[in-house]
Amino acid sequence: MRAYWKTACGVLMGGWLCLCCTAPAVAQGHNDVALVADPDIPVSTLTLAEVRKVFRGERQYWNTNLAVVLLIRAPVARERDVVLKIIYQMSESQFKQFWIAKIFRAESATAPKVVYSNDMANELVSAIPGAIAFVDARDVRPGTKVIRVDGHLPGEAGYPLR
Amino acid sequence: MRSLLVLFLLWLASPALLAQSTSQTSQSEPSIQSLLDRIQQMEKRISELEEHEGKGLTAQTSNPALPAPADRQPVQATASPSQALHSEHGTSTTEVREAEVHYPSLQIRGFGDVDFQSTDEKESSSGFSMGQLDLHFVSPLSRKVSYFGEVTFTAQPNTYELNVERSFVRFDYNDYFKISFGKFHTPIGYWNTAFHHGAWLQTTIIRPQMIKFGGTFTPVHIVGAQAEGSIPSGGLGLRYSLALGNGRNATFSKAGDSGDVNNNRAWLASVSAQPARLYGLELGSSYYHDELTPNPGVNFREWIAGGYVSWTKGRPELLAEYENVHHTSLETSQTFNTTGYYAQVAYRLPWQENKWKPYYRFEYIHRPTQEPVWDITGTSSVEDLVGSLVGVRWDITNFACFKGEYRKFRQATGTPSVNGAFFQSAFTF
Repeated sequence: MRAYWKTACGVLMGGWLCLCCTAPAVAQGHNDVALVADPDIPVSTLTLAEVRKVFRGERQYWNTNLAVVLLIRAPVARERDVVLKIIYQMSESQFKQFWIAKIFRAESATAPKVVYSNDMANELVSAIPGAIAFVDARDVRPGTKVIRVDGHLPGEAGYPLR
Repeated sequence: MRSLLVLFLLWLASPALLAQSTSQTSQSEPSIQSLLDRIQQMEKRISELEEHEGKGLTAQTSNPALPAPADRQPVQATASPSQALHSEHGTSTTEVREAEVHYPSLQIRGFGDVDFQSTDEKESSSGFSMGQLDLHFVSPLSRKVSYFGEVTFTAQPNTYELNVERSFVRFDYNDYFKISFGKFHTPIGYWNTAFHHGAWLQTTIIRPQMIKFGGTFTPVHIVGAQAEGSIPSGGLGLRYSLALGNGRNATFSKAGDSGDVNNNRAWLASVSAQPARLYGLELGSSYYHDELTPNPGVNFREWIAGGYVSWTKGRPELLAEYENVHHTSLETSQTFNTTGYYAQVAYRLPWQENKWKPYYRFEYIHRPTQEPVWDITGTSSVEDLVGSLVGVRWDITNFACFKGEYRKFRQATGTPSVNGAFFQSAFTF
């Protein structure tokens, strides 16, 4: 019986230590959402307020010749939830109403384009001039331009999009 | 039992062990770094091989599949990071082509509402009525040119009245300069350009009296040219709008669609701010100038000064607007001031998926007893308007809502207040 308890306690202890050691690694970086963009855009760092301005359609041009093209994941994706919560600070229905109103007010001629996977987002940011999107940091492709947000890249302490 | 005690002590000491693990990690950083370097080199080689094989997906025309999935790796903190390969399904060039905008690209959205009213006003009857059927058109014509239009169908006793509410083409140079030509909602104050004709967009059933459609207090439309854009101002988020066009028609509630009634153009300048630190807040002010000819040989100069503040995040939602309409007779130099304002507060309740939004609005208009412009144009009924409304909006879906409202309004000093219950089903399609 004592041997049984020893084994059980040992297993519990080992599990506890494993959890303790791995939890910080999960918290740092693996849940981050990266802001990726067309490599030709003349911007490599944005503040969170500037990201909000871009994604709310208040900044529509990177420069005179390059328009901003917004790409956003379809509903249910975690990247979309992060964007709605941190960037827009809106619920799904408020977000939909926001863009209907924005176009109705003639403040924008188009709504963000919907992408159905991180892969599609990666592909489109490299194919569409001026495109910008959010993808899971683990899915960022080689050669893609990752924008620093508030001076931080995904995985770094203080990165706001997680 | 002793070993159990040892295990218990170990368990207690685990946070300390955990704290030490951070320093151990830093000690092992060089080896991790070397591994990451090797991964980077391998990725580079894979990229080179891929490029050699296909010269990139965007150039492909026949192969709809993307490169095969590969393992995921954490993001590296470099200026131009070389990240892990993707692992989801491939994207076809068709999708890329579909995502591109084609010109022209007409989109139509409709708004409608059905209303019910019952008041204690002697001459009015209760019952249902059709609200405005509103069609909105947007068509990007090129990367920098877009068309916007809005037409309404309003129920009349024997027919439906069709009106072109907005119709303009806009040229975007950049964020700082956009110019439009056509018919607009005059960018005076907040409500007139925030909600337009779609009742679904606004929280309440009706617009405030000072900017109601068919009213005369504010010139709701202007026909001409409008320049707008951002003003470089950092976190202050300043924007400007300048407009020049035909002002009020001889019928003051109408714009000069077919031409101005005199040789003086109306002009307008407005500035607004959306501070980045106070996300949701907007402040603005506007000045409008025109010369009015309500009757041949009778001329007035008109100045409208206004300001507003709005907080539109929903918890709470605050809108407040003030306008002063100043008229000067060009014949006698007499001046007249009419003042109007409203304040509205709403709060989106956190229960039931945020579908309920109770609201309250107070509004007030005061005009002098003798005001020749309003007297000529037949708006003397609104002398001292004081009104309140309280209601609730229920969003049954993302695109349709019900509103119920109680109103108490007094149109002029000495007249009885009118009480009424109003209901609306508003939607967009």
